[in-house]
Amino acid sequence: MPVIDVVNLSKAFGPKVVLSDVNLSVEEGESLVVLGGSGTGKTVLLRNIMGLLTPDSGHVAVEGKIIGQLSRDELFQVRQSIGMCFQMAALFDSMTVFENVAFGLRRHQKMTEGQIQARVEECLSLVGMKGTDKLKPAELSGGMKRRVGFARAIALKPKILLFDEPTTGLDPVMTDVIGRVILDLKHELGVTTITITHDLKSAFIIADRIALLFRGECIACQPPAEFRDNPHPVVQQFLRGDADGPFLQDPPPPKRKEAHA
Amino acid sequence: MVLTFFDKAGAGVLRALDTAGDFAVLAGRTFAAIFKRPFDVQNLFRQFQAVGINSLPVVILTSLAVSMVFAVQLAFGFKQFQAEGLASQVEGLAVMRELAPVITGLMLSGRVGSAMAAELGTMQVTEQIDALECLATDPIHYLFVPRLLASVVMLPILTAVSVYVGYWGGYLILVGVEGQSAYVFGNEFYKLLAFRDLRIALYKAFVFGMIIALVGCWKGYRTQGGAEGVGNAPTSSVVTSSLWILISDFFLTKLLLV
Repeated sequence: MPVIDVVNLSKAFGPKVVLSDVNLSVEEGESLVVLGGSGTGKTVLLRNIMGLLTPDSGHVAVEGKIIGQLSRDELFQVRQSIGMCFQMAALFDSMTVFENVAFGLRRHQKMTEGQIQARVEECLSLVGMKGTDKLKPAELSGGMKRRVGFARAIALKPKILLFDEPTTGLDPVMTDVIGRVILDLKHELGVTTITITHDLKSAFIIADRIALLFRGECIACQPPAEFRDNPHPVVQQFLRGDADGPFLQDPPPPKRKEAHA
Repeated sequence: MVLTFFDKAGAGVLRALDTAGDFAVLAGRTFAAIFKRPFDVQNLFRQFQAVGINSLPVVILTSLAVSMVFAVQLAFGFKQFQAEGLASQVEGLAVMRELAPVITGLMLSGRVGSAMAAELGTMQVTEQIDALECLATDPIHYLFVPRLLASVVMLPILTAVSVYVGYWGGYLILVGVEGQSAYVFGNEFYKLLAFRDLRIALYKAFVFGMIIALVGCWKGYRTQGGAEGVGNAPTSSVVTSSLWILISDFFLTKLLLV
């Protein structure tokens, strides 16, 4: 049985259809990377999995439980087994790094302060952020915030980790660091992951399978090697990073010839 | 054209009902969450400090200013009828029944309600409220409940402080400036008052506290649209809660004075 099963998922906001009949399943321990242009519904997909949005039709099942049919208390139980890493980290800015990572532990675990301290330190060292526990989020760089967000997400030892564009807006070096951290977490914790990213380099390193969302539909979902050879023109255009092709709805501005001196 | 008018009017009514329904549902969820576990005592005390202790200077200064200016007006007015002695009695009545609870309510709607709307609004647009949900924490329980409890406890206390300060504001003008006897002022201030009046003032403060916290949290929680939304939330919170404080003050007065 797949750990996450997305079945005929459709979601629209007013007249704009964001997801249309999307089917995806992720097996235990598998790492799925979801690619797609801006506004193709990648984040909406994750929010449906977390139960932050309600599908218009279709459903999402996590470990066999259909998210839309759960009571609020049951939904909170399921959420304790999922760690969500937000695009901009979404750290609680009134709290220190320590308090952020300890938040879930204090709310849901009967742990002593010493045990919480040890677990927070363990999580922070897993993401390479040891020694930052007294800092406030405002004192951290973008990459550091993301990593603290990861530490907060793994604190409750979830079985599933969801990464929402973890490398957006970061420099190439920090993008590589984040890619390595995700890979480390995947290997050390053995969790099932879904990662949404635009960064093809880390996508091919992290992924067991890569899915591509295009105009609300999942047009490919296959292992990296097969994905690379997929003849679909949208897949090939996305891999090339070329403006010309069927990917964009509106035609891009024409290419100018470079002026040579 | 007539159809367009009815269309617009109907849409307006539906929108208003939708807004009222949304507020009622969130308020109901807040009351239902009060007795849910875990009890976050630390968070609650932080709110007691933010709503109560930190509001003391504002409440003291505004209560002093309003009671002093009211005493000046009363002294001037009653002097026309050679009835200066009545000024302290009316001052006591006005401070206890109306000025203390309403001024405290309005000041806190500006100081505390707007802060709640801005804080929750920022949390909403920066996905911190979604992060709470993902950490299996009900935002209503974690954010609304401590703010509501702090407001309904601290508003009556601050109103009592305001009454006390109001006494001294009246004293400063009527005794210090107008030359009335301190002994007479001390007796006359409470002459028209009964314990019931203090009870009414505290009931009012309790209701105002509820309005301030629920409206502030609701406006923040429903913030949309980035910086503009966060900017609008406190303004809208202050206007809405001030309006409801004044409207509910009328009905509470009518109801409780019977």
